[in-house]
Amino acid sequence: MKGLRKYLTPFAPDQSGAESVLYQLGGILVILDAGGCTGNICGFDEPRWSTERSAVFSAGLRDMDAIMGRDELLVRKLEKVAQRIDAGFIALIGTPVPSVIGTDYHALRRMTGRKVKLPILAIDTDGMHTYEVGEQKAYLELMKVLVKENEVSEATSSVGVLGAIPLDLPRPSDQEMIRTTLRSRGYDRVVLYGADATMEDVERAATVKENIVVAPSGLKAAEYMKKTFGVPYRVEYPGADQLLRELIGEADPEEFFAGRKVLILHQQILANGLREEIRHLSKGTAEVRVSSYFLMQKDRMESGDQKLREEDDWMELVREGGFDVILADDTLRRMTPEYAGAWITLPSFAISGKYDPSK
Amino acid sequence: MIKKEAICYTAAELAELGKDQIPENFQSGTQLVYSSPATLAYNSPGAEGFGVKRAGLSVPGSIMLIVAPGCCGRNTSSIARIKGYADRFFYLDMTDTDLVTARHLRKIPQAVREIVEFQEAEGKRPSLVMICITCVDALLGTDMERVARKAEELVGLPVRPCYMYALTREGRKPPMVHVRQSLYELLPKQKKRGTSVNLMGFFAPLIDECELYSQLHSIGVKNIREISRCSSYEEFLKMGEANFNLVLHPEARAAAEDLLARLDIPYVELTRLYQIDQIEKQYQAFGQAIGYEIQSPRKRQEALEAVEALRQAYPDLTFTVGEAMNGNPFELALALLRYGFSVSEIYGTPAPEHFVYIDPLAKLSPETKIYCNMEPTMLYYDSSTAKADVTIGKDAAFYHEDAAHVYWNEDIQPFGYAGVTRLMKAILEEVSR
Repeated sequence: MKGLRKYLTPFAPDQSGAESVLYQLGGILVILDAGGCTGNICGFDEPRWSTERSAVFSAGLRDMDAIMGRDELLVRKLEKVAQRIDAGFIALIGTPVPSVIGTDYHALRRMTGRKVKLPILAIDTDGMHTYEVGEQKAYLELMKVLVKENEVSEATSSVGVLGAIPLDLPRPSDQEMIRTTLRSRGYDRVVLYGADATMEDVERAATVKENIVVAPSGLKAAEYMKKTFGVPYRVEYPGADQLLRELIGEADPEEFFAGRKVLILHQQILANGLREEIRHLSKGTAEVRVSSYFLMQKDRMESGDQKLREEDDWMELVREGGFDVILADDTLRRMTPEYAGAWITLPSFAISGKYDPSK
Repeated sequence: MIKKEAICYTAAELAELGKDQIPENFQSGTQLVYSSPATLAYNSPGAEGFGVKRAGLSVPGSIMLIVAPGCCGRNTSSIARIKGYADRFFYLDMTDTDLVTARHLRKIPQAVREIVEFQEAEGKRPSLVMICITCVDALLGTDMERVARKAEELVGLPVRPCYMYALTREGRKPPMVHVRQSLYELLPKQKKRGTSVNLMGFFAPLIDECELYSQLHSIGVKNIREISRCSSYEEFLKMGEANFNLVLHPEARAAAEDLLARLDIPYVELTRLYQIDQIEKQYQAFGQAIGYEIQSPRKRQEALEAVEALRQAYPDLTFTVGEAMNGNPFELALALLRYGFSVSEIYGTPAPEHFVYIDPLAKLSPETKIYCNMEPTMLYYDSSTAKADVTIGKDAAFYHEDAAHVYWNEDIQPFGYAGVTRLMKAILEEVSR
């Protein structure tokens, strides 16, 4: 049945992706919920939450607030918090509750803006889409609201990276790998938006030499930055070659992939990067397909690539695909116990909910 | 210039204001709720201990279908890793179209059938299917009772709804009250047995050494039933034969009221306390209510000795007490003060009914600071302003990393004299490390 899950727990939702982009920027993040969504976002999808304080709040909505549409009460709460918390902006992050009651985010932004002298970001996530949808909205809103037009280009050579939040990456250490790879290409400063970037970095985002988009969620913001500020962008996963070698361990990569049929499941840009590398190592003899439960750009899909929705999609793909090697999160393994080929663990925190900071 | 300081009140200030003037800063409905590891248990009750999802699976052999937007089921990945919960959760994702058309309701009976068949294919026939719905359906006004009845007809198994309505948590019937009612509604009318008693309130058993067991046995009770100790669905159903119910957590009161009305089972309510003399008084009152003398002199003595052992070993301990633990932070803090220890800080949410503890606490230790975990300025909480040798509660541990920690939030529930003994021993062990 469509929508029925027997094996997998729901993936990280859009509101978690939005929160993750904004977590370290020094703003007041307000999840428009009754508390449960905030608990889930922070307690399960935000690994930084247990080690680094950030001004994340639940709107603390109650049934009558939702039924009566008491936006004024919410604005009063925002006004009150802005008087007591030192922050650079306020972000309103949606959940199913405002979605059901049809909250007008523009009106809410205007109402809040009259009372609070801080930039307001409004992100209309609804908890019914996966994390990268919220991440994409948050990046775009961030760039639209906070980037300053008249900043002078830096003397140093800077590069921006979009799409490197913990939910996008197979390992926490990939942030450092991306940074090191880009530095080795001559960049003095690598700004990972949604990771270590500060609010000042975002305000100066128009001054970077280029943006690197490492997950599909960063594309819209990159396009906006190109159109509005002339910042060019490229799409790639820097360090994919290193990642692949580390994933397969001591095996000879050329021998391992030569002539084999390979399936990769992750976010599309990372998976495409691994595909390129596998092709290179196998001297073009490996047949590689990419699939993802998350956003896939049609123009970056090859024949045989597949956007998955249901559990059955994965089971059918593996059953009928005749693959020799699968690179995917271990959580998916129990759905296809009959698969007899090689399985290389390619963790996806957004799927499994398991995060290992030591990796 | 914003003053970066967490708002708190001293016990004396709170007592002076009184139960009718609790400061607005301590009332969750008037401001945003701060999210930190100290508030996880509030925002996401299932994250630690029992929330609706775990509680809903208390009946042996039951499974759960969560019908909700993906975000509501996300944390289940961690619950499913807890022993006994693997392969018991299933999900029916709601989309934005479902919100508009409510078509997900038509799919539920078939989804229930599919998960029952899926279980049967693995050699497991479920005893009960719980359908868990969330805030979205609360707003849509879904009649899940009707949908559950349809599903029941289709699969020939009991199907019950449970409501994870965070929006109603401070309402007349919060989710954790409702889930207990849903479960106990399953009990059928049957012949009553004078020798059967139920302990209601928790989803995990009391500590084995709790004196309640021996007290009840000593007055002739043969079957003491707790939902968590029932080994089968059939045994769970026998809870309907009880002579009376002992309600150990106020969230079970509504379910006990239902059982009184429907099955004519009366109930007596007992409170978890850490003040030994108050425990004794409560047992005396309980005895008077049922016409027996209820006492446990040996367990009482053990508790007194455990307190004394800690006091002898570490007479000058200073505690901080949180609310993410098995107890009322104000009552536990008062108990510690009365035993001669110091309490520098309490992290709790004062309510009018807590002033029975706050007032005497203020007399004993007027400078004890009271913080509210959810208050936005807790972002600026600074642990250096207070002494803490020992923290009790996971939230208190979060604030004072370097102190000795007694989380005191295990599933197995401490209660009575035995609870005091166990707590004192746990503190002694922790500070002696």
